[in-house]
Amino acid sequence: MSDAKNTEIREIDLLPDVHKEVVKMYSYMKEKHPGRLWMAKLQMDHWDDICTAHERGKKLILTSTNTPAELIYAFDAVPFVPETLIMRYANSDKTFKYLDLADQYVSHQLCSINRGQIGYYLSGDLRMKPDAILATVTPCDSSRVAYTAAAKILDIPSFCLDTPYRQDERGYGYLAEQLKEACKFLEEVTGNKLDMDKLKEIVERGNKAARLLTACSKLRQITPCPLPGSLLVLNEMVGGMMGSQGAVDFLQAEYDYGVKNLAAGKGVTPGPEEFRVIWVQNMLWNNAGIVGWMEKAFNAVLVMDGFGYEGYKVIDTSSEDSIFLGLGQRTLNSPMVHGAAGPAEPWIRMVDRMIGEYKVNVSMFAGHVGCKHTWAASKLVKDYIYEKYGLPTLTFDEDGIDIRYQTADQIKAVITEYMETLIENKKKGNL
Amino acid sequence: MKPTIAIGNEYIESWKKAGKKVVGTVCCHIPEELIHAAGMLPIRIRGTECTDDRDGETWMTGYTCGFCRACLQNLIDGKYNFLDGIIVSDGCMFIQRLYDNWAVIGNTECKLNINIPRNHDKLAVNYFKDELQIVKETMEKLSGNEITEEKLNASIDLYNQTRALIREMFTLTKGNEPKITGTETLQWTIRAMSMPKEIYNEELRAFIDEAKQREPITNYGARLMMIGSAVDDPEYVRIFEEHGGLIVTDYNCYGTRYLWSDVTRQEGESAIESIARSYLEKLTCPRMTDLHDEMYEDMLGLAREFDVDGIVYVRLKNCCLWGGESVFFYDKFEKEGIPVLTLEKEEITTNAGQVGVRAEAFVEMIEGN
Repeated sequence: MSDAKNTEIREIDLLPDVHKEVVKMYSYMKEKHPGRLWMAKLQMDHWDDICTAHERGKKLILTSTNTPAELIYAFDAVPFVPETLIMRYANSDKTFKYLDLADQYVSHQLCSINRGQIGYYLSGDLRMKPDAILATVTPCDSSRVAYTAAAKILDIPSFCLDTPYRQDERGYGYLAEQLKEACKFLEEVTGNKLDMDKLKEIVERGNKAARLLTACSKLRQITPCPLPGSLLVLNEMVGGMMGSQGAVDFLQAEYDYGVKNLAAGKGVTPGPEEFRVIWVQNMLWNNAGIVGWMEKAFNAVLVMDGFGYEGYKVIDTSSEDSIFLGLGQRTLNSPMVHGAAGPAEPWIRMVDRMIGEYKVNVSMFAGHVGCKHTWAASKLVKDYIYEKYGLPTLTFDEDGIDIRYQTADQIKAVITEYMETLIENKKKGNL
Repeated sequence: MKPTIAIGNEYIESWKKAGKKVVGTVCCHIPEELIHAAGMLPIRIRGTECTDDRDGETWMTGYTCGFCRACLQNLIDGKYNFLDGIIVSDGCMFIQRLYDNWAVIGNTECKLNINIPRNHDKLAVNYFKDELQIVKETMEKLSGNEITEEKLNASIDLYNQTRALIREMFTLTKGNEPKITGTETLQWTIRAMSMPKEIYNEELRAFIDEAKQREPITNYGARLMMIGSAVDDPEYVRIFEEHGGLIVTDYNCYGTRYLWSDVTRQEGESAIESIARSYLEKLTCPRMTDLHDEMYEDMLGLAREFDVDGIVYVRLKNCCLWGGESVFFYDKFEKEGIPVLTLEKEEITTNAGQVGVRAEAFVEMIEGN
């Protein structure tokens, strides 16, 4: 890439900048909201691990959210999902520089998460350079571009896990074999040998997180829902931390919090819980506060998202083969991938099950514009919901990264209008 | 003979009258040889002839690429009602969704979705071979004909003849005395995917022989190469050729990328293994994650071989695969001294005048240099 362009805009050292922000947020929470410190601790653990990796002599591996992080931890390296960095900045104008820079090179229609990544690779602001890439080809074409671009621009070795579209036994086996090959790659990159006992221990820790996430989701099925919708956003971070103690601690705290609320008969809405909402597409990463606002304004709680951040399969750790097969299975069955990046049919089945199990009475498709493959199947999903449950789906477009596209107030106006209609209907006994 | 061919054409009509079946494919990574070996006619689905894609947009929304919307629209409109089967790959995310939507609303007798790996290593080839086994079994069931090794080898040979002829056709755009235009080459490659190869090979042979006798084309200002997303409309190419350009080669899955590199045989391989390996090795589009460098070397090689003055990089709106590729090649072409014109395209061309102005300015810029 042109050096001139890089020098012109090089201003921030991205990872230390994020680290500084997270430390500040953690201190604030410690002082002002000590009861909710565990929520901030997840982020602290996550960014601390990444930002101090090199200081601690560990290799930093750029990875995708559905690549088994357990494997990276097993090589005593640190996984870094680059999407989380741009998401961290999503509610601010800090993304503009990276999005605008990427637009000089790639189509504006690429997902802004990936344009943001490409932008920060191009800018030179990612000064703490990852040592290698181990990523899958999911969830979409934009991410496929971004990981390949990362390898080229950062000039670092990469290993691509080819994830089949369909999810079946043959696909799991194919991935298991690739993961074994990936171990050779990680051995070269890290200089460490694979220790199966260590991997088993890490996978079992991941299993603990998987069980806890499932348990939290079960709590969400109860009325009133004892867990706030905003935690679903944080749950998305767990994928890139599977196998870490930080993920287990966070999910344990989330579960305990839900159980405590349940015991007290407490929901998360100020008044009686009126609406149980399913979010059929992505989270509003840059406007996550809207989820909390819906709770307060309409007694409407987001009980689950349609990408399925509700649990992970537990891996059989009885043998080396079962571990790799389980990791392969998890790669293909991880949230977003099993939900929206594969065929539409399983996505519809999942949404169908969720509506039943989570006792949903409001459906919303908050459509991140970059997630075009989900838009392309949205009618199938929404028609199904309407035909089976009689639920229309509120659909609106937004950009989860670029706040210039749609402001929080604009989104709130759309939701308000819809919710007011539902409230009216409810009064008339139509809901 | 006019090389332009309709979706529903006389060859398909005769084929169906003879009681034989037709199978449509979406994405050129689907090996047609397997359909042909079952005694059926493979044809490639396209978005041409679509002038209004409102149903396609209803199902797939405006966030989808216009090419897939138009293909779906053509399917909905019944332009492909002659199909007995359809095979769709996971070539890109919109093609996947084309399948997902058609699986629900479509009336095609046999619908098959196959996984095509994005790597081309041994594991990927083995995986793909098993996928092709599913295609083979499905085609046998649909046709009622067994696909033997002998039949499959014969189909590979026939298709390799087509590939050789297409490569030969493109030699007529080379050098100082080009004989054919890019509009014609695209018409001919599209023709290849719309009729039986046995007849096509004869027709293309006759066209090449006739074209060799033509007077050279001289009324152009720049030799151009069109790269990027699927361009299945020769009229789009014509815009450039009416504004001073001559498209001498392309990197387009409806052009050279459709049938270019032979299916090669390696010792000990079965026919299906040869197909699996060759199709994953072929350089077509950026969907393959481990062939980027090879693809650009190949593009540059073609640009040199065809003495290209400029690159027309066409990206369909919402096509992320090609939409992201420029991050890799702008600098490479710049280094080679080859200017690039970037154009965003919708499948239904409503801005021919605007494209013409851009084309003319690009050609003038090249001529000025």
